[in-house]
Amino acid sequence: MIKILTVGWANTLRLFRQRSNIFFVFVFPLLIILLLGVMFGGGFDALVAVSVEGEEGPLAASLVESLDALDDISVERFASVEAATDAVQRGRVTAGVLIPAGFDAGLLGGEAVEVGFLTRPGDQNGMLTLEAVRAVVAAAGTPIRAARFVAAEGVASFEAALPVAQLIASGEPSLTVTYATAGESVFEDFENLGTFDMGAGSQLVLFMFLTSLAGAADLILTRRLGVARRMLSTPTSTGVILMGEAAGRFGVAMVQGVYIMVGTLLIFGVNWGDPLGAAAVVILFALVGSGAAMLSGSIFRNEQQAGGLGVLLGIGLAAIGGAMVPIELFPSTMQTIARFTPHAWAIDAFAELVRRDGGLLDILPQLGVLAAFAAFFLVLATWRLHRVLTH
Amino acid sequence: MAALLIALKDLRQRLRDRSAYLWGIVAPLGLAAIFSLLFSDLATGAALDVRFAVSDQDGGAAARAFVEQGLLPLDAQGVFAVEEVASAAEARQKATAGDVDAAFVIPEGFSAAAEGNGTSAIEVVANVDSPIAGQVASAVAGQFIGEINAVGTALGTYFTLVGRAPEAGEAEALVPEAMAVPAPLALAETTANSKELSADTFYSAGMAILFLFLTVQFGVLGLLEERQNGTMGRLLAAPISRRAIVVGKALTSFVLGVVSMGVLVVGTTLLLGASWGNSVGVAILVLAGVIAAMGIMFVVAAVARTPEQAGNVQSIIAFVLAMLGGSFFPIAQAGGLIAKLSLITPHAWFLRGLGDLAAGGGAGAVFPAALYVALFGLVTGGLAMFRVGKVLTP
Repeated sequence: MIKILTVGWANTLRLFRQRSNIFFVFVFPLLIILLLGVMFGGGFDALVAVSVEGEEGPLAASLVESLDALDDISVERFASVEAATDAVQRGRVTAGVLIPAGFDAGLLGGEAVEVGFLTRPGDQNGMLTLEAVRAVVAAAGTPIRAARFVAAEGVASFEAALPVAQLIASGEPSLTVTYATAGESVFEDFENLGTFDMGAGSQLVLFMFLTSLAGAADLILTRRLGVARRMLSTPTSTGVILMGEAAGRFGVAMVQGVYIMVGTLLIFGVNWGDPLGAAAVVILFALVGSGAAMLSGSIFRNEQQAGGLGVLLGIGLAAIGGAMVPIELFPSTMQTIARFTPHAWAIDAFAELVRRDGGLLDILPQLGVLAAFAAFFLVLATWRLHRVLTH
Repeated sequence: MAALLIALKDLRQRLRDRSAYLWGIVAPLGLAAIFSLLFSDLATGAALDVRFAVSDQDGGAAARAFVEQGLLPLDAQGVFAVEEVASAAEARQKATAGDVDAAFVIPEGFSAAAEGNGTSAIEVVANVDSPIAGQVASAVAGQFIGEINAVGTALGTYFTLVGRAPEAGEAEALVPEAMAVPAPLALAETTANSKELSADTFYSAGMAILFLFLTVQFGVLGLLEERQNGTMGRLLAAPISRRAIVVGKALTSFVLGVVSMGVLVVGTTLLLGASWGNSVGVAILVLAGVIAAMGIMFVVAAVARTPEQAGNVQSIIAFVLAMLGGSFFPIAQAGGLIAKLSLITPHAWFLRGLGDLAAGGGAGAVFPAALYVALFGLVTGGLAMFRVGKVLTP
């Protein structure tokens, strides 16, 4: 037992003797979680670029304000038409509203003013944003139109009529639109998530597996440098050595997992749900990672191969398993394929714990599947490593 | 030439241990394929089939005008699909179940209110998972009602300023005149050539530029490995110039970079349907990218003490630059400081250059993006040359 722990501990420490691993294990995951939270944690408003040419009068300012006040639309100001156009072209914003020079002067002077609306060709979101913007622009024109009508009838001057029209237009109209949402959302449980909660769970899964696979290189080094052979020549059974290696991989995965959990809890205030359940998922997923790492370490012959394929498999499986984009958004065939990855089950378990306030009992099925994955990998890896070490 | 021989030897070595294949081709191609498979439908929010249902409980002039002149023409234009249903309950039920994205219910008394008797409202019920479509419905109804209200506002202003209530039939007579006043504000819709990369192209390009940096490192690491293995001394003692050694290693990096990118561009185009744009423009961008990667990797190799250390730092730099540069997700949309930081990376400019090509430009469209990318490499490479003497010691 002591030997197993010794070998395991030595292997765990090895990982951190390489300075770069300190970056990849401790800094990089938090950076990504931070970035994801900043980018996607705040909901999905359509961004509209607004540029105002020339001096911005009160009428122009009020139009921009009404645009910003729309639900689901956020306005981003740009200094020039070129900058706004570029933003639309590059997909940084959904659409552009270009307010021309002399906007206020034209409206007050009896002219017809055109506001430019820019989208990318064939872009659905852009066309849908058009309708919302059109309504706002029309509403902005209403008091002007009323005042012009009154002036045309000779009842009062445009300047005198305008404030009256603005007052009446701002009051309660006789006709309105009421808006309500109905139905059960597929994303209902996402509503209550904190900014960083969604990213944290999936990135935990991604990085635990990725770091485990990265650590497989150490196992290859152990074989290549002959350390494994030397261990076998001591009065230590092969079984103990194998379990020691497994313990080493487990240690690495656990360090990564516990660190991300505690780190995000303390720094970002991420909610991980029921502690017992969360611990169970981390431990079982660490076992899955250990098995995969041992398998990788026993199959490949040099660190470069293991490294390259490790990155591919680590990121790829995580993506397929729903660590980058929620599974709910996948096409249905991909949702089925996702079920063949341990990642999908771990993420599902966290979803149960965090989004639906589940407990240990609620995630027993997911834990069972994770245990099966772990057993499969570990048995296969142990058998393979045994062959490689003793033949 | 000595440099060529050194390069050939290194290349043969890398190909034999398969690392070049894995990092240069298999990993990026595999990841690009996976991401394209999973995420291409999400990226553009493509194929949003917007469907509405409308139930007219009123049947009066204004209500019919909304359905026949407001909704049905837009259906005919293909903006969205509309079906008219008999009962309000059915319309609401369809929205709740998600059969339609939103439903309009025009209550009884709507047309009367439109003519000035009382208040009314068009009810829009949107399915909770279709917020955009719901907003469109709200906007379409709002526009129609806005027109009616505009006339109301005009008449209200008129009678306020005249100072008395309207006489019988006076308001109705003024309505056509009020409606005849043209709308002062209109939207002029135009489209701008998209510089956005299609999802398949984005993932292919993002992974390609990330792994380019990881592939190029092999040639440059060779310098440090020779020193570690003790063969640097022998190289220095041989009748070849020191420059030839550096050039040879640089050549290895260059060939690995260009060939792997070439394979990726062709591979992703054929297998994943990526469209990189004008071939000459892409070639220029790829060359610039290889130079940028070589520059940075050289700096690390010149400063590091062992090949392991160099390899590790190079990996960190490759991933951080790729993350900041937008290889994994479109970071420019984050706005603010992060978007500005992103523009320090050659990755961001590489992707921008491809975006400029996507707008249909010829090869010239990749400038100035390609220039920035190449400059990054030339500056860093130049800096590395100051320290390269330190590496060329036994």
